[in-house]
This record gives sequence, C-alpha cells and structure tokens, in this order.
Amino acid sequence: MRTKLGLLVAGLGLLVAALPALAHHSFGAEYDAKRPVTLHGVVTRVEWFNPHARFSIDVKDESGNLTSWNLELASPNALRRLGWTKDFLQVGGEVTVVGVLAKDGSKLATARSVTLADGRKMVAGASASE
Amino acid sequence: MKNDLARSIVTALSLAAVLTLSSTPAAGQVQPTGGGVAMSSLERLKSKSSGPAPRTADGKPDLSGLWGPDPHFMGDVSAALKPGEVLPLHPWALKLTQERLPKDDPNASCLPAGVPRMAPYPWKIVQTPKLIVFLIEGNVHTYRQIFMDGSAHPKDMDPTWYGDSRGKWEGNTLVVDTVGFNDKFWFDGAGHPHTEKLHLIERYRRPDSGHLEFEVTIDDPGAYTRPFTLFGHSPLMVNTEIMEYFCIENNQDVSHIVGNEKAGRGE
Repeated sequence: MRTKLGLLVAGLGLLVAALPALAHHSFGAEYDAKRPVTLHGVVTRVEWFNPHARFSIDVKDESGNLTSWNLELASPNALRRLGWTKDFLQVGGEVTVVGVLAKDGSKLATARSVTLADGRKMVAGASASE
Repeated sequence: MKNDLARSIVTALSLAAVLTLSSTPAAGQVQPTGGGVAMSSLERLKSKSSGPAPRTADGKPDLSGLWGPDPHFMGDVSAALKPGEVLPLHPWALKLTQERLPKDDPNASCLPAGVPRMAPYPWKIVQTPKLIVFLIEGNVHTYRQIFMDGSAHPKDMDPTWYGDSRGKWEGNTLVVDTVGFNDKFWFDGAGHPHTEKLHLIERYRRPDSGHLEFEVTIDDPGAYTRPFTLFGHSPLMVNTEIMEYFCIENNQDVSHIVGNEKAGRGE
C-alpha cells in the first residue's frame, strides 16, 4: 500500500516536472533539462523571497570536501499555493534534491523535488518540458 | 490511518487527473498548458462555479474577482491567435524578434510585462462605476487604472509601460481603449516587439460566474502590417489571494541566462 502511494507521489512529481516552467525568465536559456542532478547535503541557507525561493546546501564529496550549491525553487507565492510553508526547509537539515543543472557550469541547479531526512517530499518548482 | 492513506491516494489521483487533463490539448487547439509549476499551483484553486455572472447595483456585468492568467499570453502570443493565423510582423520586427535573446527580456530583469503579456500569477479586477482597477500580482507587482467616466485620453502623454486606459460598456462587454505605451516591453518571451504607435482595444466578458473571456486587438502600424486580435480566457480563482511579488527583491537569474532557448507557444 505504502509502495503504491510512493509510486503515485512519484508519478505526480513526474507529471508536474513534465510541465514547462516560466516565471519571469526563459527556463531553457538558464537550465539544461538534459543534465539532471541529484544532490544530497545539509541546508546552510534559506532565502524565501521573490522571484524565486532559494536555498544553499553543502555537499560532501568522497574526500570529505564540502561544495556549496545554490538551488532555485519556484516563487514563494507558487510554492505556498502548492502547499509549501517556508519552514519546510530548515538550516542544518539534511535534504536530497533532484533537479537540473545550470547551463553556465556554476554550482547552481533548479530543484524539481526536495526530500527531507524523515522522508517528507515536496515538488519543488522550476522544471522543463523535454 | 488507512482512511488518511486512502484520502491521500484519492487526492494524488485527482490532482494527477487534473494535471493530465489540463495538459492534453483538444483536437485542433493550441497546447493550452504553460507557466510550469506556477501555473500548476493554480490548478486546484480554479472555481467550479458556472452559474450566471453577477451584476452590479447599476445593472452592469460585475467583473470583480481574482482571475487566473492565460498561458497563451506568456511564452508566445501567437498561441492566442485564431488557429492558422500568424502575427503580421513587418520584416524589421520579425528580424528583431529573432535576434532578441532571453537574457535581454525585460521581464527577466524584473521590468514590467506591459500589456497584454501575463505572468503565471493571478490578477484581480476591482470594479466601481467610474473606475475599474486591475491589481496585478506579477510581473511586476503593479496596477492598471481604467477610467470609466467618459473622459478622453490626455492630449500630451509621456510613454509608459501600461499606457492610458479609458473604458466603456458595450452591452455586456467592457471595452478598454489604451494608448500612450512606451516601446520597451516585449509582448511575450519570444520577444515580439511593438512601437509607441501601439493602440490596444481589449474586450472583456464574463459568460458565467467562473469565467472571463477577453479579446485583445493590437493595432501598431509601426511593427505590424495590420491589426490582429488575440483571444484569451481566465478562470475565477478561489481560496487564494493576490500575494506580494517584488521580483527585484532577490533576482539572481540574469547573469546565468546564457542560452538562446526561448519559451515556446503556450508557455
């Protein structure tokens, strides 16, 4: 039963992710939908502001080095209408982010979903039609 | 617990169904979805109401309400033309459209969308007998005033992003005449241009309580060879409100917009 629900939620996430994103800029000119990324790290900063909510995470590599990633979400307005609250992301919390990399090669990605350590997951925002 | 789980599944399925339906174009229609997650965030907030449109005390159609955006007015306004029609651009305007890059879109720098471009956020009509106000969540967070007192456009206007709007009722249709635009805003993410000769006539109807229909006739002999009309629809939004949207507050995107890909039709 739980697996079925998980699949449904995953399916729903894919459906939302399949929709093109446009807030105030072209998605395809900033992000490369062909370069998906999954990042696991610790939240170091949350910016709950327009035009996009953002958060930063520190990701540890095999050697233990930390890299900070800037992650873009939809606008706080859209996120709230999707059921998000700004305290979903907590500084110090562990998260897994599924997203798409920026085209310019910087440590920037747009998040499609964010899953917390306790398993709670939210569809995150910006995405693109492939 | 079991009930909660069942309810979650039903909710997930309904939302999935709504999203699937909304992204499936009917035969012969332009793909109707767009605006990504911001648009999908509005899906479950659309009114189901289809009763007769309300009227004001003076007997006019009451257009008051919070209205959802039409995605055809975001990525490429060609999507809002009649099927088979193309934008009648002068050659220089077509060339400019093709040359414009996403990083130069005024919207990306949080400058105003102008008219008739929409963002994937709701807007509100506040209606009084002498003045109708559009409150616009984004982009940018602004307003339009439509003077309904029978007055004419001022003779000497400085060009502005939203122009000068004067309205009147023709039966059940609100007709808004706007001039005095600057040439800075783009009609859409595709970069369709205009000149300061732009003259817009918008016609708004509320066919039932839950829906607004509008037509925008664009007459700009500077950039287009003839007038043309865009057709739009807005659903009534419930259980939400206009929210603050100051795009300039934390806009980090422009320096990362390095590609040429523009939003497509219906985005």
